[in-house]
Amino acid sequence: MLRTQRLIARQVWATAFKNRAVFGLLIGIGLLLAYAAVTGWVSFRQQNETGRRYQQQARQDWLSNPDKHPHRMAHYGHFAFRPKAPLSMFDFGMESFLGNTIFLEAHKQNSVNFSEAGFSTGLLRFGEISMAMVLQLLLPLLLFFVGFGTVATDRETGTLKLLLSQGVSWQRLLVGKSLGLLAVMLSLYGPAMVVTGLLWFGLQSGQVSADQTIRLLLLMVAYFLYLNLFCVIAVLVSARSKTAKTALVSLIGLWLMLTLVLPRASQALGSYLYPAPSKAKFLADIQADVLKEGDSHNPGDPHYKGLRDSLLTAYGVDSVQKLPFNYSGFVMTEGERISARLYNDHFGRLLTIYNQQNRFSKAMAIVNPYLAVRNLSMALSGTDFASYVDFQRQAEQYRYDMAQKLNGLQIELISNKKPGPTDKPYQIDRHHWEEIPDFTYLSPGVARVFEHEAISLLAFAFWAGLLGLIAWRFTKTLTAI
Amino acid sequence: MIRLAFIQFIRSGGIRIGLVFLLAIGVTSLFVGKQFAQRQQQGIADVIQFQQTDFPRQAAQHRDDMGLLLYYLKFSVINEARPLTALAIGQRDVNGSVQSVTIRGLEGQKYDADLTNPANLLLGNVDFSFVLVYLFPLLIIAFTYSIISNEKENGTWSIVAVQSRHLLGFVGGLFLLRLAVVMAMLLLLIALAIALLDIPLDGSLRLFLGTSVGYILLWFSICFWVASLQRRSSTNAILLLGIWLGLLIVLPAGVNNYITVRYPVPEAQATTLAQRKGYHEKWDTDKTETVEKFYAHYPQFRQVPTAQMPTDWRWYYAMQQLGDDESAGQARELRQKLEQRERASRTIAQFIPSLHTQLQLGELARSGLGNQLRFMDYTGQFHEKMRLYFYPKIFTNAPVLTEKWTAFQVDTFTDEAPIHPLSTLGPLMLFIALVAGLGWFRFRQTIYHL
Repeated sequence: MLRTQRLIARQVWATAFKNRAVFGLLIGIGLLLAYAAVTGWVSFRQQNETGRRYQQQARQDWLSNPDKHPHRMAHYGHFAFRPKAPLSMFDFGMESFLGNTIFLEAHKQNSVNFSEAGFSTGLLRFGEISMAMVLQLLLPLLLFFVGFGTVATDRETGTLKLLLSQGVSWQRLLVGKSLGLLAVMLSLYGPAMVVTGLLWFGLQSGQVSADQTIRLLLLMVAYFLYLNLFCVIAVLVSARSKTAKTALVSLIGLWLMLTLVLPRASQALGSYLYPAPSKAKFLADIQADVLKEGDSHNPGDPHYKGLRDSLLTAYGVDSVQKLPFNYSGFVMTEGERISARLYNDHFGRLLTIYNQQNRFSKAMAIVNPYLAVRNLSMALSGTDFASYVDFQRQAEQYRYDMAQKLNGLQIELISNKKPGPTDKPYQIDRHHWEEIPDFTYLSPGVARVFEHEAISLLAFAFWAGLLGLIAWRFTKTLTAI
Repeated sequence: MIRLAFIQFIRSGGIRIGLVFLLAIGVTSLFVGKQFAQRQQQGIADVIQFQQTDFPRQAAQHRDDMGLLLYYLKFSVINEARPLTALAIGQRDVNGSVQSVTIRGLEGQKYDADLTNPANLLLGNVDFSFVLVYLFPLLIIAFTYSIISNEKENGTWSIVAVQSRHLLGFVGGLFLLRLAVVMAMLLLLIALAIALLDIPLDGSLRLFLGTSVGYILLWFSICFWVASLQRRSSTNAILLLGIWLGLLIVLPAGVNNYITVRYPVPEAQATTLAQRKGYHEKWDTDKTETVEKFYAHYPQFRQVPTAQMPTDWRWYYAMQQLGDDESAGQARELRQKLEQRERASRTIAQFIPSLHTQLQLGELARSGLGNQLRFMDYTGQFHEKMRLYFYPKIFTNAPVLTEKWTAFQVDTFTDEAPIHPLSTLGPLMLFIALVAGLGWFRFRQTIYHL
């Protein structure tokens, strides 16, 4: 009996492609997908090329330093350039709002600079065209345009009565109509995913990891489910509406609600309720805490006075100049330890506030499949906030290790006596610069996505279940006129 | 008859829901703007507070070493937000309104990013400009998409056509009626905004209002044109939503992709790297050569005597200066690239009225890239002023405590760049005339197609 469904599905497909406007829209969306693929590819290449070039140059600059005092090197510092993940060409996500260059030096946590948004004319706020955006935002609307009349038009023309009286059950009718719409959807989803797969493969230059494969497959599944959902919604709303026009207006209203109003409103609510500190306040608070605990740059600071006294007692000497190691290196190690810990505390608190701000739009995923797929897709593509925080943490860890390594070299290799006015400044050999490895960003495994996006995953399960339930109920209560 | 039409229009449930919904979001957007303004104020208060406590503390700690003190002190400049900024937040949430710089190398500090939650930036603000640019058109579409087609579908259009002496005038009347309701809504929101945000009634506001009115007229003319095609309601709805989608999502986003790819800015990284190298390698090169280069840049300091200090601050600040001097080329290229972006998007925007409206509202509210570039320039001038003021004091190691540190106020940049009403309103008016004219022309042919 599958034949009935197939027949109905084929009718939906044929009507859709016979309609010139719909056909035009399909072509339009196809072209947009192609445009998105090209720009995604190009900007991926551009940014990663720039990042790689300057990462190498920064490294060469670092290595070509002559013999120096290690603390000079600690201020010479290094750069971390954030690489784009391969799937970022599919879903730009937050990419454009994230900085991509950070200068790493001793005692100072610099900001991650040069986000695309900072250089934008304001155009960016209208959004970007990525393949993900087309699939999340435009394809559902197209499905609504194609699907609003599937049942309602039949009802208006009286065909529905005929169909049902001929023994076609509601269940078969709805399944058939949904399948037809699904076929229309696949005509764009299919090519988009093939292109994504090819680009994804091309961008990894032949070295495909299991992690990336899982990400890509999950993306495909998520979008397939998501778009399916919209096919079914279109058919169900059409089945519930008296006229095709009402169905269309309801579907458009729903689409606007899901994609335009709810996401903005929920995020606005979050940022309204949980104000984040200004940069000035954030930095001032850290400084205040550092001063409270111990200011390594202040000779009279009580914390360091205590430290000095205990060292003097331990080594049985009466002045720091007589200690068998470089005392100021020791002080800086302690200072770096304290200030990095305090910075991380404050940064953690800031992230908590941001997470609170994002809480509503994350929770909304339960009622809004658009947000669910959006959050999940960004996470899988490595263009979400969690990936960015991960980069920041790795950069900070690198900075800390670099500073402490150089402090260690100073403690060990620099004389503890103050150089006289005519002495040559103390230096260590340049081969030590090689002891500090270059910064390489390791992208976190896909398991992290499950941690961060549990709500979105749950939302998918919930929506799939709910739809099945509604469809089942509808088959019992719907009428032909 | 128009009176009856009005009663019929306003009594319909969907229309009322639409109006109430838009009013609610409109008022919300004003509160979002208000909160934005308050956070700006708070940010400014924070930086003033910091400067007031940090300067005396640092001065006391480094009281015999002017050079070391100035190594630490951060002077702040504020990009003044106008009350109007709260209506069109634009890029202000991306680019911080406060820049804090020490007198060391500028290029290493100028681009420091503000603290932001990217999720907020990504989803965008619900500010008044969003309500105007995105939601008002939807309301207009909902009000007008079936003006004639609905009558036709209900079979009442022929009665109307027969009874009306001047049918096109009657149709025009129906549109004007809806226009009046939407305009009343706009004016109500603007009036509330003026009261809530203390917006001064100046030229900027008038132009802001003019742009808003123009934008609404544009959408009415688009709807008028679509009605003139005499299609079915659902076709009208799809067509109008398609236009909305094109003007507000697809075209602007497409242009954005184009500009990003066409004008990439690797100059940003180049500048930073050059600045670091320019400064740091001077530690290992000849001291007199560095100082000579510095004197070549600032001949006026050659005469200033240098005090004997454990640290040679003149050399140190000369190195910092050379970091800036040697990255000046890259910085200029970066600046040019950004100007190219700004120019390109402006030129393209003239042909996409939604984009033009948004960019102009941003310009009027001083929240666009233009404002940011001018603010960066001003920060540069401010930094230079501070350098020139302190260099002689550092070189002579002037006594720290004779300087009145609490007198250093936070500086404010007021954007006074002129805005020409014609370039703001011109493109909009052209589009309105074009589309409305097209609709009128078409209607004359199709109005009696029953």
